[in-house]
Amino acid sequence: MDPLEKSSTKNANKKTTNEPPEDIDFREINESYSQWEEQDAYDIPKMTTDTEVKMGTEPTSNLTEQGQDLTPRQDGGVRKVIKRPGDSGETPMIGDKVYVHYTGRLLNGKKFDSSHDRGEPFTFNLGIGQMIKAWDLAVASMSKGEVCEITCKPEYTYGVSWNPPKIPPNSTLVFEIELINFKGEQLTEDGGIVRRIKQKGEGYANPNEGAVVDVHLEGSCAGHVFDSRNVRFIIGEAEDHDIPLGVDRAIKRMEKGECCLLYLSPKYGFGTEGHSHFGVSPNADLIYEVLLKEFVKVKNTWDMTMTEKLELAVAAKQKGTQYFKAGKYIQAVIQYQKIVPCLELEENQSEEHKAPVKALVLSSLLNLAMCHLRLQEYSHAVEKCNKVIEMDNSNEKALYRRGKAWLQMNEFYLAKSDFERVLEINTENKAAQAQITICLQKIREHHEREKQTYANMFQKFADQDAKVGKRKPSREDGPVKRRRRSKENL
Amino acid sequence: MALDQLTEMIQRCQVIPEDGFKVEDYEIFQKAGKNCLEEMKTAEILDIIKEEKNKVIIKCMGWNLLGPLIKIVLKKDKTSLQHCLSMLTHILEVCSPKEVLLGLLEQIEDADMDKIAETIVLLLQPLQTVLLKLGKKKPPSVGMSLSTILNQISQLPVPYTQEQEEDDAHGLCQCCVALLTFTKPFVEEVQQSYTNKMVGDMEELRNELLKFCIKCLSNPLLHAQLEKVPDVADEMPMRRFATEIVEILCCTGESLPALIFHRLLSKKEEPGFLEEDAKYSKDSLACLSYLIFVQHLGMDKFPLVFSPEFILHCNMLHIETLMKRKEESVLSKALDLFEKTLLRTNQNSVTVQFLEITCFLSVPQALVQIMTLCPIQHLRTKGLQIFQLYIDIFDVEGKYKLFRCLLEVSHHAGVEGYIIQNIKKQIDLALKPGNGNLWFSGAALLPLLRLVLFLPQGPETDLLQNLDRIMESLNLLRYLLIRDKEYDNQTGIWTELYKIEDNFLKPLHTGLNMSKAHYEAELKNTKENKKHKESKEENPLCTLSVAGEKLPNMTTEMQLQVLQSAMFTFDLIESVLARIEEIIEVKAKK
Repeated sequence: MDPLEKSSTKNANKKTTNEPPEDIDFREINESYSQWEEQDAYDIPKMTTDTEVKMGTEPTSNLTEQGQDLTPRQDGGVRKVIKRPGDSGETPMIGDKVYVHYTGRLLNGKKFDSSHDRGEPFTFNLGIGQMIKAWDLAVASMSKGEVCEITCKPEYTYGVSWNPPKIPPNSTLVFEIELINFKGEQLTEDGGIVRRIKQKGEGYANPNEGAVVDVHLEGSCAGHVFDSRNVRFIIGEAEDHDIPLGVDRAIKRMEKGECCLLYLSPKYGFGTEGHSHFGVSPNADLIYEVLLKEFVKVKNTWDMTMTEKLELAVAAKQKGTQYFKAGKYIQAVIQYQKIVPCLELEENQSEEHKAPVKALVLSSLLNLAMCHLRLQEYSHAVEKCNKVIEMDNSNEKALYRRGKAWLQMNEFYLAKSDFERVLEINTENKAAQAQITICLQKIREHHEREKQTYANMFQKFADQDAKVGKRKPSREDGPVKRRRRSKENL
Repeated sequence: MALDQLTEMIQRCQVIPEDGFKVEDYEIFQKAGKNCLEEMKTAEILDIIKEEKNKVIIKCMGWNLLGPLIKIVLKKDKTSLQHCLSMLTHILEVCSPKEVLLGLLEQIEDADMDKIAETIVLLLQPLQTVLLKLGKKKPPSVGMSLSTILNQISQLPVPYTQEQEEDDAHGLCQCCVALLTFTKPFVEEVQQSYTNKMVGDMEELRNELLKFCIKCLSNPLLHAQLEKVPDVADEMPMRRFATEIVEILCCTGESLPALIFHRLLSKKEEPGFLEEDAKYSKDSLACLSYLIFVQHLGMDKFPLVFSPEFILHCNMLHIETLMKRKEESVLSKALDLFEKTLLRTNQNSVTVQFLEITCFLSVPQALVQIMTLCPIQHLRTKGLQIFQLYIDIFDVEGKYKLFRCLLEVSHHAGVEGYIIQNIKKQIDLALKPGNGNLWFSGAALLPLLRLVLFLPQGPETDLLQNLDRIMESLNLLRYLLIRDKEYDNQTGIWTELYKIEDNFLKPLHTGLNMSKAHYEAELKNTKENKKHKESKEENPLCTLSVAGEKLPNMTTEMQLQVLQSAMFTFDLIESVLARIEEIIEVKAKK
C-alpha cells in the first residue's frame, strides 16, 4: 500500500472518535468554509509563517508527519507540506489572480494533470469557488515562490462523483503546487479598475444596473483620505453623489457583505478634471475601500409590465441626457444602454405601444451613437447607426453620425456616401455639405501622400497595377470586387 | 477559329516586353483561350502554355484560364483530364501566387450547389501550394481562403445518421477530411514557432486558425453526430474532424478553459460586434464544451482542478444557448452536456445561492419545455431523467426553492405531478430519524404544501387535464396523514387540514360530481344518438391531422370508449379521495 494512503487512513481513524467521517454533510462544510472565509484575510499570512517556524520543532495537535491541516474544521481533509518556503510572508487575497505551476497525482502516483505539460503557468482567481476547495484553501496559505505538496480528501476535491476519464470517484488527490505570482483582479479589460477582496460576500447575486445599493466607502489619494461616508445610491448614477465611475462599475461585481479595495486609474476616478471639493488633483490614481452593506435589485426586464418598461426607458433617457449635457459620456451610455434591451423585443408585440417604443429605441440608439462619437469609440458608433438605419433607412441623423464615424476611421468614401445620402434626404443640411468637402479634401490628401510614399519606390509596380486596372473591364463584376479585397488583405 | 485567334495573338505578343501588353491582348487571350478549352482543344493549349517562348505571356495572363480549366476538370472527360491537370500545375508554377489565389477562390465561391464539395476537394491542394508560396505574407490570405471555404461548406447538409455519414451524398465529410490536410502545414508552422520561441511572428496565422476552428465548431460540428460509434474500426469522419479541430485549437495556444469559461469570466459588460464576437461565438463555445465534457476530446489538455460547481455554472450557460435551438442534433447535444455535467456534480452539493443565477432557473424551464413539447420521443424521455438528476444535485434548501419556482412556472400537470412526487420523497427523507431539516418539515413546508394541495381553478378545474397533478397531490396527502402522526405533527399537516379541506378536498368533490354528471349525460346522449343515427353518415364538425396525416373521424363507438374511460378516471380519483377522508375521520373520532 502507498505510504500516503496508509497514513491518511490512519489519520481518518484517529478522527473517528469525535467526528465520524461518513457523516460529513456537504452543506455543513460549505457553511463552515464560508464562515472561515469571512475572517480577515490578513490573518492568513501570520498563521502560515507561525506554523512554518514551528514545523519540525514542536509538532502541535493539528500537525502530523504529513503536514499542516488547512481545513477550517480541522478534519485533515487538506494537508500541506512545504517543500520550499516562499520569499516573504505576504499571501494572496481573495479574488486575486494567481499564477501557479502544479502537478496532480492519484494516490497510486499516477499523474492525471500538470501545468508543466502545457508549458505555461496556470492562472485563476483565488477563493471564489472556481477551484476545488482544497486549492482555494491551499493557495491562500502560500507565499510567493513557495512550493508545497497538498494531500486532499475527496470531500475537498471531486467527492463521490466521477470525473471521467481520469479521476475515479472518491479519490484522494496529491498536488504539488508552486505559487509563482499573484496580483489584484482586473475588473476591466484596460486594467483601470483593480479589485482586492478583503472580505468575501455572501451568495452569487450582484447588484444590477439600476439597483439601489447601501455602501460604506473610503476614498484616498496618495495616502490622504478625502472621502469617508455611508451612502445609498442607484447603480449607474453614482456620479450624482460624487462617487467615481470605477466604484460604480465595481459594485456591480460585488456580493452582499463584500469588502474590497479598489485601485482606480484616472479614467475611472475623477479624470482629467480631478475633484476640487475633495482636493483630488487632475489625473490622480485613487484607492477606495468599499463595503457593500445591502442592495435591492431592480426587476429583470422580462419580469416587467409594458408600462413599467416604458417608465424605465423614459427615466433612463432623461438621466442619460442629463449626463450627456454634463459631458459625462460614459455615464450617459450606461443610461441609454438600458433602453434598447428593455424595449427591442416589444416592438412586434403590442400594437398600441408600437410608436412610442420605436421612437424611444431610435432616439436611444442615436444618442448612444453620439456618445460613442464623443468617446472616440467609432466602431461602436457605426454599429448603433447601422441599427437605426436598419429600422429606418432614411434617418438623417443616423446617416450623418455614421458618416462622422467613418470619417474618423479614415473610411473617406464610406463617409462621403453617407453624407451624400443625408443631402438626398434633406438638401438644406449645410453641415453635411461641409462634411462632404472635408471628405473630398481628405481623399485628395490621402492620394497625395500615397503617391509621394510610393512614387519612386514602386514605380514599376505602379505601372503593372495600371495594367491590371486596364484589364479589369474585360471581366465581370466579381473579380473587380475581389481585387479590392486583395489589396486590403494581401 | 478560336485557336487561330489565340495563336495569332500569342505570336504577336511573344516579341513585346512584359509591360507592353494591351487590354485587347488580355481580352483575346481570355476569350479565345476559353473557347478553345470548350472545344476540347486541350492538347493544343497545353503546348502553347508550356512553350518556353510564351513564358512571359502565361505568367501575366495564365490565371485567366483557371475558370474554364476547372470546369473541364470537373467534367472528368478522360481524354482532356490529363492535359488540364498539367496546365493547372503549370499555371500554379509560373503565375503570380496572388492572382492564382484569387482565381482559385473565385472558383470555389462560384461553384454550383451540386459541385461545391467536388470543387473544394479538387482545389484545396493547389490552393495550399499557392498559399505556401506567399511565405510570411500569407496569414490574411489563409484566413480569407478558410472563410471562403467554410462559407461554401456551410451550404452543404450535415449528415446526421451513421448511414448518411457513410454515404456522404453531399460530400461534406470528404471536404472536412480535405480541409484537415489543407490546414496541416499552417498548423505545423504555428507549432514550430513555439519550439523556436518565435511566437510573435505567428500571431496572425495563429489567429486565423483560431477563427477557423471556432467557425467549424458551430458549423458543421454543432449539427453533426459526434458520438463514438462502437464496433467501427476507423473513426467516423465527422468525429475525426472534431478531434482534429480540438487539436488545432490547442496548437493555436488558446487555452481550452479560457474558451469554455469565457462567458463567465469575460470582463466586457456588453459584447462587441467585431472580431471578438466571432472569436467567442456562443454556439461554438457550447459545442466545444460538449466535445470536452461529453466526448472527452482535448480532456488531456484540460486542467483537472476546477470545482464541479464552477464547471456546472459555466456549462449551464452553454446548455442554455443550445436549448434555445430546435434541431434534434443540437438539442441532443444540450441534453448530453447537461447530463454529463450533472453526473460530475455531487448530489446534494449545490447550495441554494446558485438559484440566484438566472440560468439555474431558466435552463430547467427550457428542459420542461423539451420534456413536454419536443416532438422527438427519446429527447423527451432523456429530458425527464435529467430533470431528476438536476433536482438531486441541490442541497435541501436548494431543492425546496427549486420546487417552489418550478411549480409556479411549469404549467403542465405531468411535470407538476413529477415535482410533487419529489416533494413526497424529500418529506419522507426528512421524517426519518436523524434526517430532520428546516425545509421539508415544520414551518417552511406549509407554504410549499399550499402550492400543491389545492385545485388550480377550483371546482371548475379540468380534472382529466390535471389528472397527474391531482393524483400525486392526493397520494402526497394520504402519505402525510398516515406517516405523520397527529400528536407529532412534524409536517404541520394536521393544523393545516381545515384549509386543505376547503381549498382542495371540497372543491375536488364538487368538481368530481359535476364532471361525473356531465359525462354521464354525454354518455347517455351518445348512446341514444347511436340508436337514432345508426345508418346515417355523419358529417364531422372538424377534422384533425397529426404529422400531416388526417386522423379518421371518431366513430360513435370510439366516443363511447373515451367517455367511459373518463368515468373510470373519476372513479379512481374518488376512491383515493374517499380513502383520505376515511383516515381523517378515524383520527377525528380519536
